[in-house]
Amino acid sequence: MSAPSSNTSGSAVVRLVAGREIRQRLGSKAFLISTALIVVVLIAVAGVYRLTSDSGPSKEKVGLVGEAPAGFATALAQVGDRFELEIKVSAFDDRRAAELALKDGDIEAAVLAGDGQVVFETDSTGDLADSIGAAWQVASSAQAAEDAGLSGAETDAVLRPEALAVDVLEPEDDDDVGRLVGMATAVLLFISVTTFGGFVLSGVVEEKTTAVVEILLAHVRAHHLLAGKVLGIGTVALVQFAATMAAGLIALFISGTTVPTEVWVSVPAALLWFIAGFALYSTLFALAGSFVSRQDDAQAAAAPISMCFTAGYIVVFAVGGSPDSLVATILSLLPPFAPLLMPLRMATGDAAVWQIVLSAALLIGSAYGILRVAGRMYAHTVLHRGTRITWRQALKMTS
Amino acid sequence: MLQISELQKRYGEVLALDGVSLTVARGQAVGFLGPNGAGKTTTMRSILGLVTLDGGSITWDDRPIDAATRRRIGYMPAERGMYPKMKVRDHVVYFARLAGLERRHAGEAADSWLERVGLSDRGDSDVQDLSSGNQQRVQLALALVHDPELLVLDEPFSGLDPVAVGVLQEILLEQVCGGAALLFSSHQLDLVEDLAPDVVIIDRGRVVAEGIVDEIRARAPQRHAHLVFEHETSWHPAAELGEVTRRTEREVWVKVSADVEPAAILSDLATGDGSDRLVSFNFAPPELSEIFLSVVGRP
Repeated sequence: MSAPSSNTSGSAVVRLVAGREIRQRLGSKAFLISTALIVVVLIAVAGVYRLTSDSGPSKEKVGLVGEAPAGFATALAQVGDRFELEIKVSAFDDRRAAELALKDGDIEAAVLAGDGQVVFETDSTGDLADSIGAAWQVASSAQAAEDAGLSGAETDAVLRPEALAVDVLEPEDDDDVGRLVGMATAVLLFISVTTFGGFVLSGVVEEKTTAVVEILLAHVRAHHLLAGKVLGIGTVALVQFAATMAAGLIALFISGTTVPTEVWVSVPAALLWFIAGFALYSTLFALAGSFVSRQDDAQAAAAPISMCFTAGYIVVFAVGGSPDSLVATILSLLPPFAPLLMPLRMATGDAAVWQIVLSAALLIGSAYGILRVAGRMYAHTVLHRGTRITWRQALKMTS
Repeated sequence: MLQISELQKRYGEVLALDGVSLTVARGQAVGFLGPNGAGKTTTMRSILGLVTLDGGSITWDDRPIDAATRRRIGYMPAERGMYPKMKVRDHVVYFARLAGLERRHAGEAADSWLERVGLSDRGDSDVQDLSSGNQQRVQLALALVHDPELLVLDEPFSGLDPVAVGVLQEILLEQVCGGAALLFSSHQLDLVEDLAPDVVIIDRGRVVAEGIVDEIRARAPQRHAHLVFEHETSWHPAAELGEVTRRTEREVWVKVSADVEPAAILSDLATGDGSDRLVSFNFAPPELSEIFLSVVGRP
């Protein structure tokens, strides 16, 4: 009468439940399209950035009225070069003609050599203004030195001393890339956990409202059902998260930005924080879902968890500017905030190894603990019918 | 054998179960009757471990029902439970696997059950795209796909058309003949009598009548006589015999006490002037529905 049966151990059941979730989600067009879209957009943005930023030095035109000191044009070209400006000088007959050209946008600045004046259309600051000022000074000084009877070599010694060699201990640009990647990771992790945690929430409520959970629990234990659901949807979420992170890295590479080592390390490490963070939050979402009997009530039941997670998200932006601060350090160790903050601090290179290890241990430990406790509570709450259960009642039911 | 004894369950102020006991043997079908809120669903859910009981015990083959035993139960809840967006065949396979069938056998069992309930060609449809009657057929396949030893079906006939009712009755009879124990609830008393010679009637959490339907009817304190005459009749039974519950020109219905012999009615008829020629005489205990109404005092 009975057919050959397979393994019905807890882990086999969890795999079965997770497998169903994965097949259902991966089979959905919305998921595939949204994932592909994220990847394509990220890489496209990087490509566009690369194309526009590689356009070379910008060209500037300067008008000249009257006789400038000898060497002004040469000096202007040299100084402009340093600002990545390719400056072309053209002569005008008088001030009127130059101002007209300025208004028409044919030139960006007009140097009135006779009056010792430089005219701009609207803005008298910026690299071009600085270049003109510096070139004028150099050329005038050289002229004055020559008039005073100094030789060419003497003039050079006065005006072109050996320049200071420049060195930077912590290049600021690199830090910016780290912060950008860290912030992007936090944003992505927040969106992903919120979205897929939401799927866990509505999935649990669906099972409850359709009463399918009644039949499920005739076959499997509640905590296996819970674990399978979190594992299955979590796997799908991880696939999308990893694809996005990979696309992000490819985008960084394409954009031609110099990426510090910490970033290359922090991105794969972010996957660990994602997994643990997802396990922590989506287990709580599942539990909240088991408190209600209608989809309409689901958001209200999950509100305390969403609020906690959103608070962490806001904190990321509050302390993101100073990831090396004490507040940021402490928060990055606390499990509710760690998934969002630690990847950021790792990307900027501000997290010490012991902090990373401690944060991971606390997060994984609490995720496991919550999964255990929630599994026990779930068995009671998911079968409750009628009005919404409060968190307080749920704790009482279990104890 | 399923043995339920002295179940107690209270939801706040409401006493849902107040000492319900019943048994279902292998190869036996038991109809579970009672008005809404009588405790049928609570009793059935508690067999599956879905209710935390305040008292009483439930055993299968003299052992408490554990997780392994539960996998040998086929359960159909009163609220139909399925994933709306899952494909029909996937759904049946999934439940077969949860019940412990390995992949290949789960697939075979699903195919054979879908054919049995007449849905072979709908395997690739989403559950939500099926009519409610067809969804119920899937629900039945879900309950039976793992070849359970005990069937617990809450209102399996509700919402089915007569053809589907016939198919379902046939399938359930087949299961019972194959040795399965079947406990099912229903509001449709005629269907219960067709399928199960045994019934348990509960009301307000207590068993108010149980046994073989014919015996329950036989135990009833009254009988119904139905007389049909050839022509218009003026016959009226003697007052001490019983009371007329209904009459038309040519027909008379008489309710008598169970100790009245059918012959007593006929001899009362013979005392008349002989113009009342009888063409049909029917004498029987009350139908189950009448007994149901009298024991629960409400529909």
